[in-house]
Amino acid sequence: MWAMIVKEFRQLRRDRRTLAMMIVLPVLLLVVLGYAASFDVKTITVAISGPRASAIDGVLPKPFDVVLSAADQGRSWAQNQLRDGKAEMAIVTGGSRPLVLIDGSQLFAARAALTALAGLEHGSSASGAAGSVRGIGGAGGSAAGPAFAPKLTILYNPGLTTSDIMIPGLCGVVLVFVGTIITSLGVVRERQSGTLEQLAVMPLRPRDVFLGKIVPYFLVATVDLAIVLAVGIAIFGVPFRGSPAVFGLGALLFLFVTLGIGVLISSVSQNQGQAIQLAVMTLLPQVLLSGLIFPLTSIAAGVRWLAYFLPLTYFNQISRGVMLRAEPIAALWQPFLFLALLGAIVVTGATLRFRGYLAPAGRQRGARPAPAQPQGAAA
Amino acid sequence: MSGGPLAECVGVTRRFGHFTAVSNVSLQVWPGEIVGLLGANGAGKTTLIRLLLGLLGTSEGEVALFGQPPSRLTRSRIGYVPQSLGLYDDLSPAENMQFTAAVFGAAPGQAGPIGESGRSGGSGSGGSGGATGSGGARGSDGSRGSGGESGKRDRHGLPESLWPYARELVGSLPLGVQRRVAFAQALSHRPDLLILDEPTSGVDPLGRARLWETIGEAADGGAGVLVTTHYMEEAGECGRLVIMADGVVVTEGTAAQIVGSARCVVVEAESWSAAFSALEAAGLQVALAGRGLRVPDAEPAVVRRALGDIPAVVRQVPATLEERFFQLTAQGAATKALA
Amino acid sequence: MTGHGRPAATEGRAGTGHASYGASDLFVLYGKTVALGGVSLSAPTGQVTAVVGGDGSGKTTLMRCLAGSLAPDSGTIRRPAKERVGYLPASSGLYPDLTVAENLDFRATGYGMSRQVARDRAAEYLDRAGLRSASDRLAGQLSGGMRQKLAVIAAMLHQPELLILDEPTTGVDPVSRSGLWWLIARAAADGCAVVLATSYLDEAERCTSVLVLDAGMPLASGTPDEIVAAMPGTLREAPARPDGQLAALAWRSGGHWRVWDPGPEGGSRLAGTEDGSVLIEPDLQDAVTVAALGMAIAGGAS
Repeated sequence: MWAMIVKEFRQLRRDRRTLAMMIVLPVLLLVVLGYAASFDVKTITVAISGPRASAIDGVLPKPFDVVLSAADQGRSWAQNQLRDGKAEMAIVTGGSRPLVLIDGSQLFAARAALTALAGLEHGSSASGAAGSVRGIGGAGGSAAGPAFAPKLTILYNPGLTTSDIMIPGLCGVVLVFVGTIITSLGVVRERQSGTLEQLAVMPLRPRDVFLGKIVPYFLVATVDLAIVLAVGIAIFGVPFRGSPAVFGLGALLFLFVTLGIGVLISSVSQNQGQAIQLAVMTLLPQVLLSGLIFPLTSIAAGVRWLAYFLPLTYFNQISRGVMLRAEPIAALWQPFLFLALLGAIVVTGATLRFRGYLAPAGRQRGARPAPAQPQGAAA
Repeated sequence: MSGGPLAECVGVTRRFGHFTAVSNVSLQVWPGEIVGLLGANGAGKTTLIRLLLGLLGTSEGEVALFGQPPSRLTRSRIGYVPQSLGLYDDLSPAENMQFTAAVFGAAPGQAGPIGESGRSGGSGSGGSGGATGSGGARGSDGSRGSGGESGKRDRHGLPESLWPYARELVGSLPLGVQRRVAFAQALSHRPDLLILDEPTSGVDPLGRARLWETIGEAADGGAGVLVTTHYMEEAGECGRLVIMADGVVVTEGTAAQIVGSARCVVVEAESWSAAFSALEAAGLQVALAGRGLRVPDAEPAVVRRALGDIPAVVRQVPATLEERFFQLTAQGAATKALA
Repeated sequence: MTGHGRPAATEGRAGTGHASYGASDLFVLYGKTVALGGVSLSAPTGQVTAVVGGDGSGKTTLMRCLAGSLAPDSGTIRRPAKERVGYLPASSGLYPDLTVAENLDFRATGYGMSRQVARDRAAEYLDRAGLRSASDRLAGQLSGGMRQKLAVIAAMLHQPELLILDEPTTGVDPVSRSGLWWLIARAAADGCAVVLATSYLDEAERCTSVLVLDAGMPLASGTPDEIVAAMPGTLREAPARPDGQLAALAWRSGGHWRVWDPGPEGGSRLAGTEDGSVLIEPDLQDAVTVAALGMAIAGGAS
């Protein structure tokens, strides 16, 4: 038995991918779950409009953080800031009572905002600040009662239901899954069964092989996405308020990125086991850090930078923005740009590697090629 | 050891559901002999080997190893090299040997390597040297330490010619070297019976000869060897051949005995492709053979008639073992179909 | 004829006047390892040319260069366009999770064959190769011999002008091997230039010309008869292994020992005839073994 143990250790020592998984993964989970991730929202971004904007701006306590203030704007401007994801809460002044709009699609920020507002109303927030706010907000209201009693409206996810924000996120996960894991398996299969060499010799263009391998997974991913959307909308009542075209474009771009990653993974894996390991290692950070479960802003800054390299982060913004807030494409230019950029990089890399396998003798096609310069010394 | 055969099957049959893989096979392997087991795929060779090794039980008949039924004890007296070599690709030869030695209970390097000694003149891909006879010290140097100590000096039981490869991963070694390592591993615990499944597949001619030297020396040292092979070339290395087809032993004997007086017709024609087509059209089995075509199992007159007016030289030559093998296995199938 | 070392490369008998495919002076280096060191090959149409060598001899590298899946570092290759080449790689090139019929379908479409022609030809080949009944079986479930037969059929389905087969018969049982040889003969009879890599010398003997490789270097080439005739020195058969210096020149064959005497050019090491040894006629295997021995000795001496 001892012989078996020694042998297994020796083999394990050389299996770098498994070792990486066994060590890196727990460390990653530890860092993320223990340190970086949290559901606590520390700041709530606020946009204020209307005549009282600058006054409130000065006295609004933490956790609120005023990022936009426009005295000459009204409710529709404020709502657009929420819609475009520029703020999580808006205060509209100028009417008989201030109007507070809360973005329900930012679930945890919304809950934190509600708690903080309740604290303000009942004076439980930090000392003088509450009084000041009350004073301001109460202008026009009776001095006796709780002065800061804004009218509260929760937009986009009034019930603050989790499924409404999870389903759009799930769309992204499905696409990552099919794109990365399934594609990497499908392409590795070709390497494993030794048929890749046969393809190199057949009169097929590398482009044909590459696209031909990817299109089926593309279709499968689309079908999966359609199912998730259909079930989400029909059974869970998730809204789809925005433009299907924008959503579709975002999904297309995102799919390109994930399929490209899948092909890249397969080009550095010798067998399906290795491909799965690598695919899992790219999937897990995306699920944890992309804002799918833990809100981005709550993730410790030391780790959050990683999220901005993950494609799922951007697709989440697109899917939630479009489905829940009808966010227009103009406001979504940032995620679209990033996805396009990532897509270009990944697909180029994947194509180049593919071509390396499929056309090594490209320059020698046909009869009598020009003889290459002899290199090196013959043994 | 008693004077009986090392391995013996008596009337062994093995069925898998409705399918009979091995039917009424009797076989013996005596010390010092090399027995070759020939047969097409599905003839039952692999099943028979597994029965001998004790990996399978018989449906009928008995298997005896060293006079007893197969057990863990008998297993330790057998050296087995499967087709896949049985080596760990991600370990080095030294580590593989250590593992095997630990499993088989002998301290590595204790018994000393048999079958090979350092030799110059081996070719790069397949050369292996021969040893001087058998009877290397059986631990007479008394080094009964743990693996590490004596192992380092004797390279874990690896013969000297393999020392340059001792630390590389098996997976990165050329096939010929891998085979030699597999042999060294099987021989390291001085087995009395060697069972080798296609031991030289894919090796170049010189390397093959060297591997057969190792096998020959093991036999000269008193071990009995059972070899399965598809190479007719190697049939000549075996003292005795056993040909199987469809689970039955079709014939046994030396190569010369088996071929007997079988003849074959050779056709030499300028336009060989025309001759080929003509003979095929006449329903004859034709095989390409360098300068000409071979038509086994046919009379010269029939061949001449089939050729028509295609100019050719037609003559008879002794059949090869392979052609006789086909004759026998086809007959065997026919007999079985009638039975 | 030259003594030790590389014999002068003799071309096989000229082909029937048609174009000859092949390669000249190929060099392939993997880092410091020489996979091919100046190898030339001629493959006339309508003939089967054998490339012989053990594992690591460079056979597969040569096949890959000929087929176009590997670019040599230097040298020229004469091959037709991609559609006219058929290739059987060492790993069979079949999809294990497709059936026999589906695999052939894929090849047919990939090479632009018409459906009907492909179906008919496939049916004929499968029939003669004894695979007719297996046409709906997954390729991964076929036995080794059947799989190789299918692989050869897949490679020759589109009637290529150059058919490159990398060890189609290694590890294949004798019955399947004869089926394979029928396919090979058929391809050659149809005018194809067949290049066959093998480690079996009895197969090389069946071919019109042979190229023997050892560690990436050409060891011998020509027709089987020419290679045997080019063997320097003489060959004896002894009942036991000789001692001393001669041991390096001896190898085991068929239960006896063959001893090579390089002859007066190589500095004869025999004082006279060995006891019990007889002079014998070398066959192709002997000639190749002698060439390998000569190479090894020359390499060791330098």
